[in-house]
Amino acid sequence: MSYPEVTQLAVPFFIAAILIELAWIVIKGKGGRYETRDAVTSLIMGAGNVASGIALGFVAYGFFMVLWAITPLDLGASIWVVALCFVLDDLRYYWVHRFGHRIRWVWASHVNHHSSQHYNLTTALRQTWTGTFTFMMIVRAPLILLGFHPGMVLFCGGLNLIYQFWIHTEAIGKMPKWFETVMNTPSHHRVHHGRNARYLDANYAGVFIIWDKLFGTYVPELQEEKPDYGLVHNLGTFNPIRVAFHEWVGIFQDATQPGLNWQERLKYCVMPPGWSHDGSRETSAAIKRRHLQEHPEDVGTPGF
Amino acid sequence: MPLTILLPMVVLGIAGITLLLHLLGMSRPKLLRDGAEARAAWLDEFPKDAPLRVVVSHDHRAALIETALGKGVVWPMGADTTARYLDGAEVVRTHKGVRIDLPDYTAPRINLTLDAEEVALWPSLLEERA
Repeated sequence: MSYPEVTQLAVPFFIAAILIELAWIVIKGKGGRYETRDAVTSLIMGAGNVASGIALGFVAYGFFMVLWAITPLDLGASIWVVALCFVLDDLRYYWVHRFGHRIRWVWASHVNHHSSQHYNLTTALRQTWTGTFTFMMIVRAPLILLGFHPGMVLFCGGLNLIYQFWIHTEAIGKMPKWFETVMNTPSHHRVHHGRNARYLDANYAGVFIIWDKLFGTYVPELQEEKPDYGLVHNLGTFNPIRVAFHEWVGIFQDATQPGLNWQERLKYCVMPPGWSHDGSRETSAAIKRRHLQEHPEDVGTPGF
Repeated sequence: MPLTILLPMVVLGIAGITLLLHLLGMSRPKLLRDGAEARAAWLDEFPKDAPLRVVVSHDHRAALIETALGKGVVWPMGADTTARYLDGAEVVRTHKGVRIDLPDYTAPRINLTLDAEEVALWPSLLEERA
């Protein structure tokens, strides 16, 4: 059975939706911001992501087909199996995404998605070129071994990414309460893109926000604290090559500096972003601690 | 989707959106209106390092910052800003002002447009401890 390349088929929809969001912002004078070079960088990152998928997709697919050959299980391709696969793959997405913020090796791939100081539909397309090198395809292994066909798993992953496109907007405030309770929404995901101490390391969900609520990483968007988008240390370049590879370069520079032992070199690769052997940098946990020292009144509020 | 369709669609899509944004006036860089705004932009990047001195350029597109730890620059990144310390920087005079080459993969170069008075002053300020 073959499944369509849904992310490629969605390209016309992506372009149309960006134009609609832009028209809304221009006409209404609210609902977000656009800037030319920022948007172009995001769009080029998106195109590069598709290109890297075409060039390197065989690595993950080959790995999945090996697993498919090994497993004695085959759940078939009924609509219920596809639906179950979609939900379980979203759980897989949650954990890969969480690893992507907590393990620097994986963050090196994911960081570019957070490197824009804007939050609009082009930001959704600011995707990695180096996902293959994180080896996070291994987190999908249980799905294949349980009997979900690799083509179905990748199809569900594509649908997951398409869902996440529309939540990268400031043009939508809050969705109906029942929807906000179960689904990932623009409001929940704005929190995820915030560099505010309160919003760091929160709302990793892809489609269903219930995973964050289940695993203790949910933080609601507070009306009194607008998310400040971007990285803790924002980039000083729009060059897509530098956007794509800067954290890998950073890992290399840190791990190969003289005077470290092998444990410290390894920790520069796998510890949370901001870890340093001499404590000269701040992790997100340290940023939150510093914030609470400066603002003790925030203790116990969402995100702290 | 065949590459013969996907590739032109992506190229035309990016080109069209770029042109549209530019024509809508969304290419204008951020201006630092005054020292207070430059200071706030610096603190966005280095919240623990309060500026002791802030010098905004005449065109409001950069500010020289001095803290207890050294000198740095705030400059526009499109409609927003970023900032860096100048440790290890090389300052080169250009016909428009000054170019700062940083040993930083995420911010390799800062081009500053300076007037005659600033050209005389800024390089020495930048190089004092850069």
